[in-house]
Amino acid sequence: MATVALTPSLAELSPLRRTDTTLSVGIVGTGRQGRAILQELQQIEGVEIAAVCDVDPGRLKRATRRVRGLTGYATVEELLEKESGVQAIVIATPTHLHREPALAALEAGKHVYCEAPLAASVEDSAALAAAARKSDQVFAVGLLARSNPIYKLARSFFRSGSLRDLVSLRAQNFQKTSWRNTSPDPEREKALNWRLDPRISLGLPGEFGTHQFDAYHWFLGRYPTGVRGSGSVRVHKDGREVADTVACDLVFEDGLHLAWQSTLGNSYDGRYEVYSGSMASFKLAWTAGWMFKEADAPTQGWEVYANRQTFHNDQGITLIADATKLAAQGKLEQGVGLPSPPVHYALANFVEACTEGAEVNCSAEEGHRATVVGICASRAVTSGDDVLIDPELFDLR
Amino acid sequence: MATRFELVLEAEGEARQRGIAEEVFEEIRHCEASWSAFARESVISRVNREAHGSVVVVDSATFELLEEALRVAVQSDGCFDPTLGVLMERHGFRGAQEEGAGTGSWGSSAVQLDPQTRGVSLGAEGLRLDLGGIAKGRALDLAAEVLRDHGVERALLHGGTSSVLGLGAPAGLPGWRVALSSDDGAPIAVLRDRALSVSASTGRASAAGGHIIDPHSGAPCQLSAMAAVISTSASLADAWSTALCVAGERVLSLPSDCQALCQGPLQGEPWRPGGTLTDQFILPTQPAQGQALPA
Repeated sequence: MATVALTPSLAELSPLRRTDTTLSVGIVGTGRQGRAILQELQQIEGVEIAAVCDVDPGRLKRATRRVRGLTGYATVEELLEKESGVQAIVIATPTHLHREPALAALEAGKHVYCEAPLAASVEDSAALAAAARKSDQVFAVGLLARSNPIYKLARSFFRSGSLRDLVSLRAQNFQKTSWRNTSPDPEREKALNWRLDPRISLGLPGEFGTHQFDAYHWFLGRYPTGVRGSGSVRVHKDGREVADTVACDLVFEDGLHLAWQSTLGNSYDGRYEVYSGSMASFKLAWTAGWMFKEADAPTQGWEVYANRQTFHNDQGITLIADATKLAAQGKLEQGVGLPSPPVHYALANFVEACTEGAEVNCSAEEGHRATVVGICASRAVTSGDDVLIDPELFDLR
Repeated sequence: MATRFELVLEAEGEARQRGIAEEVFEEIRHCEASWSAFARESVISRVNREAHGSVVVVDSATFELLEEALRVAVQSDGCFDPTLGVLMERHGFRGAQEEGAGTGSWGSSAVQLDPQTRGVSLGAEGLRLDLGGIAKGRALDLAAEVLRDHGVERALLHGGTSSVLGLGAPAGLPGWRVALSSDDGAPIAVLRDRALSVSASTGRASAAGGHIIDPHSGAPCQLSAMAAVISTSASLADAWSTALCVAGERVLSLPSDCQALCQGPLQGEPWRPGGTLTDQFILPTQPAQGQALPA
């Protein structure tokens, strides 16, 4: 079997946005994701980070010391009041705390980029998406597959029928981490461990699964109709109730299944999605992607320029944009992989939408539908029941 | 970087210890992802790809690290140089080589930084940043801040054993005791809210010599070269230990928050430095429990 690494066009990979317009941005929530966003936004030309805010003083300090002269606030209200020139707000608070600051930002006339899942309840998610739809401001959701240049390229192959008849979908997100946060202040520590609180956490299916399920939604152009799941605490036996290891089976109307597994107890092979069809398979791993061709798949012209890799028993071929030029320079290897982290491309799209009117890659409605699927998967794991994904849940009132 | 980091910390309860350690290593992974010359998606790799003949805007933390690296390059009279990527490739310290690897130039004077825009440009064909130890040191400094944020008062953290940071001191001791080498009789450095960096060519070597390159000649330093620096800043300790290792017998003027523990070639067994050895922070023999820090 042959493997083809998917590499997007050089124009798409260019990590810098070039614009004469400056966009003033505030970031709400400076945990890990907020800080990652802070770093990436600084590398997008035309973006000025005006301020950040977080209720946790330790996290706020970790963000403000990363950027010389950056102002920090404790609340979004304070940020919106004192930084009236801010044009866009990034919401990177815990999932169950997206709604309030996002609505406040929209009401203040700011563009909003909201991390995914949109909310921890269908009600909050729908309310947020409905408000975004009514607003004239840009609203983008951080479901990163839709902005990832490698995924875009793979999707174009997928949509043109390269895999032919789909037979299997499977994905995983394996990490070795406890999900436990600490703080010298016990109250803060409790708040920081929201992902381990079964009353508000969507667990692994919501926090991790939503992003990967949405990649399938985007490729297939449809949503699963039901999900079953199971989970248990297999490694981090520290009194937690939220499962550290889960498996979900999402079913589509035509009988296609997506098998997804996730754990916090092992990191082997990390995070990826596989799409298997009768002519080929994709394996997409966020910063790299490959196509595994069946022996009877037709040969395509671009394979002439492909770089070859070996995966166990399979010899792979790497597809590289501008392969002719790079091959002439002896630099084919340099075309493999994503030049910037995946979140960079979603933020660049958001900035382009704010400054130049570009269409957002993930709208509030799409974010809501993905959130609903994540919530249903979470319910399936916690209840052990088969959960129907009622299309009415996608409706915005 | 691409090296192993290890952490010892004092905190109540295993879950809490694990939680803090995970945040520390998350910070280090973040540094690695930003500053590694090996990772394609790193900020440094992007500068190396795109900053020839144009300006690449980088994040504030990366910009400040580059400012510090260039400052040490000037202060050390070029003995430390963050642009030796080409030479590391040429001398076989960067793994499998692609065609064309090892060709290009070096010299930190060709790196231009614009503090107004945080813009970086590389003014010479083929010039490539390779921050090496100074990035590892900065990762230790940022990791120590995470520990302090969590109220940790006693911890020891190292990157690749050559860069060590001691936060506070073990209970009842004046500081964390770290031997300058694994050889018998090696002096013991005492770290209390200090970082130690030991640079020695013997760590990795190719046919041409050790992995520390002399920017003036473009050749590896002799295998016996070594230096150790202690500082409140692990990044400065790393940069200056490299500079002193390259300088050999030349005298360099270190900034006030750095102190050279030793500088000079290794001379046989038992461990005995051939160059200077300061006694501050150094225990002359294996200390007994509770031994006072030398004046």
